[in-house]
Amino acid sequence: MRRALGVVLAAALVAGVALFVQRPDPVDAQGGGTVEVTVTYNGAPVVEKLKVNKDTEKCGTEAVIEKVVVGGNKGLANAVVSVPTAKGAPKMAKATVDQHGCKFVPHVTAMTPGDLELKNSDDILHNIHTYSTANPSINKAQPKFKKVMMEKFEKPEIIKLTCDVHSWMLGWVAVLPTPFFAVSDASGAAKIENVPAGKQTVEVWHETLGKQTKEVDVKAGQVVKVGFEMKK
Amino acid sequence: MRAIVLVGALASAVFLFASASPAGAQAGDAQAGRAVYERKCALCHGEKGDGKGPGADLLDPRPRDFTTGIYKIRTTVNKTPTDRDLFDVITRGMPGTFMPAWDVLPEKDRWNLVAYLKAFAADKFKEAPKKQELPKEVASSPESIRRGKEMYEAIECNKCHGAEGRADGPSRPELKDEWGHPIRPANLTKRWTFRGGGGRAEIAMRLTTGVLGTPMPSFIDSVEKPDDIWHLANYLASLGPESPHYATLLTAEAVNGDIPADPVAEFWKRMAPQNIPLVGQVTIDPRNFNPSIDMVALRAAWNDKEVAFHVTWDDPTQSGADAAKKASPDVVSLQFPQKVAEGADRPYFLMGGDADAVYLLRWENGKGATEASANGPTRIVPLAGGEVTGQAAYANGQYRLVLKRPLVSKGPDRPTFQPAVFLPIAFQAWDGGAGETGAKMSLTSWYYLRLEEPQSSRRFVVPPVVAILTFAAMLLVVRVANRRA
Repeated sequence: MRRALGVVLAAALVAGVALFVQRPDPVDAQGGGTVEVTVTYNGAPVVEKLKVNKDTEKCGTEAVIEKVVVGGNKGLANAVVSVPTAKGAPKMAKATVDQHGCKFVPHVTAMTPGDLELKNSDDILHNIHTYSTANPSINKAQPKFKKVMMEKFEKPEIIKLTCDVHSWMLGWVAVLPTPFFAVSDASGAAKIENVPAGKQTVEVWHETLGKQTKEVDVKAGQVVKVGFEMKK
Repeated sequence: MRAIVLVGALASAVFLFASASPAGAQAGDAQAGRAVYERKCALCHGEKGDGKGPGADLLDPRPRDFTTGIYKIRTTVNKTPTDRDLFDVITRGMPGTFMPAWDVLPEKDRWNLVAYLKAFAADKFKEAPKKQELPKEVASSPESIRRGKEMYEAIECNKCHGAEGRADGPSRPELKDEWGHPIRPANLTKRWTFRGGGGRAEIAMRLTTGVLGTPMPSFIDSVEKPDDIWHLANYLASLGPESPHYATLLTAEAVNGDIPADPVAEFWKRMAPQNIPLVGQVTIDPRNFNPSIDMVALRAAWNDKEVAFHVTWDDPTQSGADAAKKASPDVVSLQFPQKVAEGADRPYFLMGGDADAVYLLRWENGKGATEASANGPTRIVPLAGGEVTGQAAYANGQYRLVLKRPLVSKGPDRPTFQPAVFLPIAFQAWDGGAGETGAKMSLTSWYYLRLEEPQSSRRFVVPPVVAILTFAAMLLVVRVANRRA
């Protein structure tokens, strides 16, 4: 009897430890699931055009401001998709924005709190002017010889990037509280892997179409598909 | 034991407090500041401090919204200005804007205002100001100025401020402040309009911190070496005088021989400019509360046949009349009475009145020089048959113009220019690119112009001859006296 109790206790202990050990560090979670998001927009693309009066050899003669980019099957590009309910260690990969052809490339950058690398590959003056409230706002010149600057964004927030020299330049940096994020591609697709299993909230943000959230049930080793239709 | 701890805490608190308040800064009383604010500031900045006072819509740049806690002029690394920064802005005003210098207020009142302003954005002022240190000062020298110019070009200050600093850069029309209002770059040749002061150290500080809420970025991390901040400041300080030294009485130099019609001729460069301030026309509608042209520089010369006026003014946009685009031309006009009257009577300064017409020497971009008579801004009648000529040059945000006319009048509508007479003169200017046309202009009141009399060589001959004759007479007197003795 006593032996039986011991065995049971030992088994319980092993099971407990095993469970504990198995409780994953979510980033490396093998037990996580994949969230596949499709963002669509049932409207016309919004593209503003502006005649360029300077730096035309770098910027071209016409600036194109793509505020709403709609691809095949109404897929909406440049939407930030994240799982704010899933916590994990910040992504270590460095986020980078390049000022190239008098555009911010990529147009939308997602990152976890930390450093952002700002490149100037245009060989002309740009200035990084951020509009932020949680993080200190920045307005720093980046002349042609200053190829790289590093800036710190420590608080989650969506930050607008502008350049006063080239007023059409517009970019966004989404500093997110979770490492589980992606930015939708030209077809409106975004894939987030290794999301911890369980009930999670998926959030979509777009610069002009706003925010939407949906609840999903993430299962380990499985793909959960979720679609968002953005509205004005 | 407890007593010692208390005393220690007190001492360190006092020490902290002392080290936190920079030299001369005083703690103000926000409630006392409020009383001053409501009397002196609320008209523009609004009772709630939101920059929406009854006068706000007429002003450009707009009055500061204190609830944002964003201040242009600061000496700090972060957004929070020091109390001294705010105090200095109140004391000196914001040159080139409607914000006057409030040094007329007692110092105590100004410190109380500082406390009250901070209360409008108490949460923003929770973060303590972090003092911005400047790199070690570099004295101005030809080498430093040369390096500054090199940097000016390398970091492309010209994009907004223009190649020669006259605020005519290609990005000018696109510039907006943080609230989306259009904003103009500074004219770097007019240091007296710099918002935070035109001294070298003040310029270096603006370059270092940038101007918050505006497109002007911080350059401290964006020059090749920290020293470059000072080279740039030295270069900018070399672009123009710290003060405009406005003229009071205008003179035209007497010249033997021809007067060049070319405004860029060496002849004109040798002559000292007489600077005259212009203000917006705010007497009749449409009023011009934000004039674009704030100064003209006059050089004038005359000979036995003609009188010539050389006028220089900054205009960041060269524009001609274009009906399709509803664009107005750039215009400048010199105003004289039709007849030079005895005594102090002059026509109404604003282009004459019903009974007293004025004579205008006008130049319009695209049209050239014309003469007109006027009985007010809306009653301008061109005068035909004159002999006025005009030649203008525009480069890097600046017009230079020569207007010439025969001395002798061709009729009763035009004055005759006579030497040694105090002739009333006034100026008007329109920046078509800024939408100025008709009564929307900048202007001066009456000045006096005097055609200097020809300076004959007699003044160099007569005094020495008199001196020699006197000396000879003295010698004679001495000799006669000696002979008598």
